[in-house]
Amino acid sequence: MLDKFDIQIREAEEHAVIETAGYLNDALGEQLAEKAQELIQNGCTQLVINLEKTTLINSIGISILIEIIEALGEREGSLNFCGLSATQERTFRMMAIAKYAGIFPDEESAIANL
Amino acid sequence: MKDPSTPMSEDNLQAHQTGNTAEQTMERLIFSLSELEHLGQTLISGHSNFNHSSKTYLRITLGTLQVTRGAILRYHPTRQNLEVVAASPDQVFSPITVEQSEIEGLLQNPFIEKANLPECLEPLFARTANFAKTIDIRLWVPLKIQDEFLGMIGLGSFLGREALETWEMELLTTLAHQISIAIAYSQMVEGVQSEKFRLFMLAESAPQICQLLQPEAAAEQVVHQAVSLLDANAGALMLTHPERQELEMHYTFPETLVESSTTDSGPDQTAQVSIDLRDDVPDGEETPVSLETTSVDMLKSVVKEGLPGHCPPQSDTLFGGKNLMAVPIPGRDGDILGILVVGDKEERGGMIAPFNDEDVILLDSFAKQAGVAIENAHLHQEALEARQLQAEMEEARKIQVNLIPETLPHIPGYEIAGHYEPRGPVGGDYYDCIALPTGHWGLAIADVSGKGMQAALLMATLRAGLISELSRGNGIVEEDAAQNDPGISALYAELIEMALTLNSLLYASGTEEKYATFFYSHLNPETDVLTTLNAGHNPPLLIKKDGTCKWLGEEIGGIPLGMFPNDMVPNIAEYEAENVRLTSGDVVVYYTDGVTETVNIEDEYYEEDRLVEDSKACKDLDAEGIRKYIHDAVMGFQGEADQFDDLTLLILRKQ
Repeated sequence: MLDKFDIQIREAEEHAVIETAGYLNDALGEQLAEKAQELIQNGCTQLVINLEKTTLINSIGISILIEIIEALGEREGSLNFCGLSATQERTFRMMAIAKYAGIFPDEESAIANL
Repeated sequence: MKDPSTPMSEDNLQAHQTGNTAEQTMERLIFSLSELEHLGQTLISGHSNFNHSSKTYLRITLGTLQVTRGAILRYHPTRQNLEVVAASPDQVFSPITVEQSEIEGLLQNPFIEKANLPECLEPLFARTANFAKTIDIRLWVPLKIQDEFLGMIGLGSFLGREALETWEMELLTTLAHQISIAIAYSQMVEGVQSEKFRLFMLAESAPQICQLLQPEAAAEQVVHQAVSLLDANAGALMLTHPERQELEMHYTFPETLVESSTTDSGPDQTAQVSIDLRDDVPDGEETPVSLETTSVDMLKSVVKEGLPGHCPPQSDTLFGGKNLMAVPIPGRDGDILGILVVGDKEERGGMIAPFNDEDVILLDSFAKQAGVAIENAHLHQEALEARQLQAEMEEARKIQVNLIPETLPHIPGYEIAGHYEPRGPVGGDYYDCIALPTGHWGLAIADVSGKGMQAALLMATLRAGLISELSRGNGIVEEDAAQNDPGISALYAELIEMALTLNSLLYASGTEEKYATFFYSHLNPETDVLTTLNAGHNPPLLIKKDGTCKWLGEEIGGIPLGMFPNDMVPNIAEYEAENVRLTSGDVVVYYTDGVTETVNIEDEYYEEDRLVEDSKACKDLDAEGIRKYIHDAVMGFQGEADQFDDLTLLILRKQ
C-alpha cells in the first residue's frame, strides 16, 4: 500500500475531506499542499485530512502539514486529522501539530468537530 | 492607525507624489516597527515559516518605503536557485538559477541598481529579466547574515520620486536585515523541527519494532522506520545467511526497488536477490544480479568491515541508480546480522541531497535497535518452531508406540520376549512377530533413519508393507527349507522378492536420507529352521546351548531398504537369504544399534563384544529373563550418560 501514492478529495457544502494514501514525503506532500491550497483559495477553509491509508510520514511531510495549518490559520479556517496510527498521533502531539489541529479517530467525528 | 501598506488610490498616489509630511513618515515608521515586532514574536514562537510570513514582510517593506511593486526571493543552497516567495503583484514565477560566483558578487554589494549593474552580475540579472520586467525592479538588496547569502529583496518604482532618500535607504537596510534574520531563524526552526521529529521517531521506533515477533514484519518495519527517519525515498534490509556466505535481500521499499533494476524480474525476485560475500566466487555460482556494480562492492565492504558506507548514484546499481547509504546491523554477540540501506535523501521541491555525517550517526543508532528487534523476532520464531517440532515429536512417538506390539504371541516350542525403550528424540525402531497362515512365523526388526514424524511415518509404511506382503503369501512355502532344495530356493526367492518390494515402497515414500535397516526371520517351528534376510541391519546374535556364538546374516548381502531404487540394487549388494537350524537352548538376540552404540560417561560404546559376553552370561534364563538381563546390563553400562537413540531388543529362545 505504501508504494501507491494517491489523493482523494471529497467536497461538501461547508467542508472538504482530503484522503491520502502512501508515504507522506515530499512527493505526496507537495500534491497534498497543492490540493489544500486550491481548496483554501476557493474559499473552503474547513478541512479534514484522513491519513488512514498513510502509515509512513517523514519530516518533510510533517512540515507540509504545518504549512497547511498555517495557511488555514491565516484564513481563520480549521483543520482536523483522522485515521492516525498511535505513533502518528504521538508524533503530531510532540510536533505541536495537535495544538493547532484536532485529532479524531474517524472521518465522521473529524467533520462533526470542525 | 492607518495602515500605510494598503493599496493606494489614484488620489492618494497624487498626494504622495507631492511629498511626505513628517507626520506621515512617523506613521510609516511606527507601523513598520509595530508589524516587525508582531512578526518577530510569531517567528520566535516557532510556529511559522518564512514562506508564509514573506508576504507580510514584503507588504511592510513596500508600505513603509512607499513602493508600489516588489518581491522577496529566497535562496536554496541545495537547489542553487532563488525562489520567488512573495511578489507584488502576486504572481507565480519560476525559480532563478544562481551561480556561486554570482553569490560572491551579490555579497559584495549592499545595493544593486538596475541602471548600474556590476559586470559580474549581468548574467544573473539577464536570467531574471522576464521576472524583473513584470515587477519592474529598480533596486535589489541582497539578504545575508554575515557571509551567508539568504536571498534578495527587489523594489519597483518609488512613488513620487526617482530614488529613495538616505534615511529610506537606511530603513531599507534595517528591513532587509530583519528579513534576513527571519529567513535564518525560519531555517533554524525548520532544522530544529526536523531534528525533533527524527529524535522522537528514533525513540519511538525502538519499542515499536522490538514488539514485532514475526521476522518478516520486523524486517518491513525496520526498513519503513529507517526510510522515514532519514527522509529517504527507498530502503532495504539485507541479512547475512548463517551458513552460506551471502547477503540475502529480506525487504525493500518500495517493493519494486530491486526488481526494476534487474533484468530477470519476477514475483519472488526480491527474495532471490543475494550477494555472495566470498572473495572469489567460483565460475557458475554467480548470484542472480550482476555484481559488477559500485553499490554491491560498497554493501560487501559494509558487512565485511562493519563500518557505514556511501555510494553515489550509479546507472547500473542494484538499487536502480540511487544515492545510497548503508550501515551494518550488529547482533548481540558483536557479529554482523546484515546491513540496512537507505536511498535518496529528499529535500523540499523534489531535490535529492547527499547523506551527511549526522545521517550516518542516526542510521547507525537505529541499526543497533534494529539488530535487537531482528534477533528477537528470529529467536521467537525459533522458539515457535521448537514448540511445533516438540508437538510433532509427540505425535510421532504415539504413532511409533502404536506400531510396537503390546504383547507377543506364543510360538509352540519357543519363548519370545521383546523390549522397546524410547531414548531421546523419536527414532524409528520397530520389531514384530507375525503369525503366518501356514503356522510359520515372521520375526522382523528394523531401524528407520532420521527422527521425528517422517521417520515414524516411514516405519508405519514399512510395517504396512511387510504385513501386506506376508498376508498375500510371501514366505509361506511349506517345504522344509533345510531339507529340500526346491523349497529353499522358493522361500529364498520369496524373501528376496519381498525385500525388493519393501525397498521399492520405501524408496518411493521417502527421500535419499530416509531409509530403514531391516532384518527378517522366517521361523518354521516344526523343522526349527530359521530362514533369514538382512537389509543392512545389525546382525542378530545366535548363542548355541554350548555357548558358541554366530552373527546371523553377517555374511549375506543387502543394503538398507529405501536407499536406492530396485534397478540399482544388483549393482551394489543383492538381497540374499540363509538358513540356520535351531536346537534346544539356542537363543537369538535381535537388537538395534541403540543397544551396541549405548555410551557411558567416559564416552565408551557398549559394542558387540559386551553384548556377546552379557548374552552368554544369561543364555540359560528364559527369554524374558535374557531380555531383562541384557537390558539391565546395557543400562548399567550407560550409567548417568545421555542417550540419543532408542533401545530395542527381541529375544527368541528354543525351549
